Amino acid sequence: MISPKARKRIQVFLIHVLLAIWLVISVLPPIMLLAASLNASALFRSPWDLLLLRDFSIENYTTAFVAGDFWFFFANSLIISTASVIIVLVTCVPMAYGLSTISDRARNAISFGILAMRFIPYVVLALPLFLLFVNLGLAGSRVGLLLAHLAIHIPFATWMLVGFFDAVPRELEESGIIDGCNAWNLFWDIAVPVVRSGIVALAILVFIMSWNEYLFALFLAGSNAQPLTVGITRFLGGIESGAQYGVIAAYSVLVILPVIVFSLVANRYIVSGMTAGAVKG
Amino acid sequence: MLVIVGVPLALGFRYSMHRVFLYDFNNQIFKGLDNYAYALSDPLFIKALNTTIIFTLGCVATGILFGLLVAFLLNSRKVRWRPFWVSLFLIPFVMTPVVGGIAWRFFMWQQEFGVINAIGGIFGADARYWLLDRETALFASIVSNSWHLTPLSILVFYAALSTIPDELYDASHIDGAGPFQTLWYVVLPLLRPHVLFVSVILLTSAFREFDMIWALTGGGPGRSTTVLSILAYNRGIANQDMGMANTIAFTMFAIMAVVAWIYITIYRRMLEKST
Repeated sequence: MISPKARKRIQVFLIHVLLAIWLVISVLPPIMLLAASLNASALFRSPWDLLLLRDFSIENYTTAFVAGDFWFFFANSLIISTASVIIVLVTCVPMAYGLSTISDRARNAISFGILAMRFIPYVVLALPLFLLFVNLGLAGSRVGLLLAHLAIHIPFATWMLVGFFDAVPRELEESGIIDGCNAWNLFWDIAVPVVRSGIVALAILVFIMSWNEYLFALFLAGSNAQPLTVGITRFLGGIESGAQYGVIAAYSVLVILPVIVFSLVANRYIVSGMTAGAVKG
Repeated sequence: MLVIVGVPLALGFRYSMHRVFLYDFNNQIFKGLDNYAYALSDPLFIKALNTTIIFTLGCVATGILFGLLVAFLLNSRKVRWRPFWVSLFLIPFVMTPVVGGIAWRFFMWQQEFGVINAIGGIFGADARYWLLDRETALFASIVSNSWHLTPLSILVFYAALSTIPDELYDASHIDGAGPFQTLWYVVLPLLRPHVLFVSVILLTSAFREFDMIWALTGGGPGRSTTVLSILAYNRGIANQDMGMANTIAFTMFAIMAVVAWIYITIYRRMLEKST
């Protein structure tokens, strides 16, 4: 017979085994990319050989930087993502604060509209924007691509921030008014510091969303504005011949490196941002 | 905000009622609802609609199921290193979907040297051409996309579970409920709003998915993984038929509008019940 205590222990052990299996499933694709990128040529090798780095080389990375025009695409990605974050913070933080202070009725109507926008399939926006930008002369420019990103980010960010501002205790504001704060003080010195970690979470999420975005980039970016996500797919055309598996892997690793680092360093913020919506529904 | 979303929507709706070709852009003819009528009678459109529905439901079901499962495991008593698990479980979600698609295509599903066939080989399964086979390409796309989406549902469910106090489990244990009864009658009802929320987020994001499938299969083989987003892209950019592309996009929009309406109705009813 197994004692109840031993049974508990086996149970806990099994739970850890299952979690470890899920962990392997989660990280295996990126690990395979990393492994393949560090082998001389990833062609004709079993996964096992790749993981053991039987044919170690960093040549793929030098090829990716040079042949892949890495820094050009990197600059586009970085400019668009950073600009998105800055514009979203400057416009949405005050807007969300305003929304959270006005009457419930007006707010419900507006937040319903914002919620509705989250249901819009991106392709519905991308097609007309493509034609509109051709007419306005914005086609293929970073500005056009940035505007498209903002169309997605601003509703999302406002929705999330209103939730954060709603959680600021009323008493805090009331005591602020008694202490003689004006409207700007109430916003900047009282409300914003309370929701600071929410704002950080939002900034990180917006950066990651912009960095990862592909559909708009494919539709709207001309050759001058293409971000890394488009840069990498240029390799795919000739891939079936197989010679470039290692280079593709190296390029992939470079593309995901910033977001993976973000998610490891700042995962507390990302998790809070992702679950914030759920609490409010 | 209204301008940046409203103008393209209005324009798109206008284009969806016209005959608009990129190579003949100045010669637009009003067609009314003819484009919609044509789309609905077009077997390719119907096929893409079917594919989209299967893809979406597959992703939602897988995402919810594995999300609940992993969240329960994470929330079990005596689980160690919780922050460690959470931070690594997050990776599929933050990873660029296009790159995720590339990783799965060349290193997981790949027929000769991919991980899936290698693992299958250990158990004596025959190697399959997962992404090149009409029968399995859609299944493989669903698996890959679910891999990308599941972290969201894990995190939301885990956050919800960790707010349930231990006393509740103790109370149900004292009342004589087994672990499965506790799960079914105590825990799941408490999670209902979160399941609703997660399924809507997964549904909207799977319904419009483009990046992952585009990188995995490009819509092929044949048209077995051509979802509506990809069909709209092919029509609009490749065939330069912007009128039809906008019609397809607007049909997607209409479907999502109905989904949004259903979601909000259910959500309101739930709120009324709970108060």
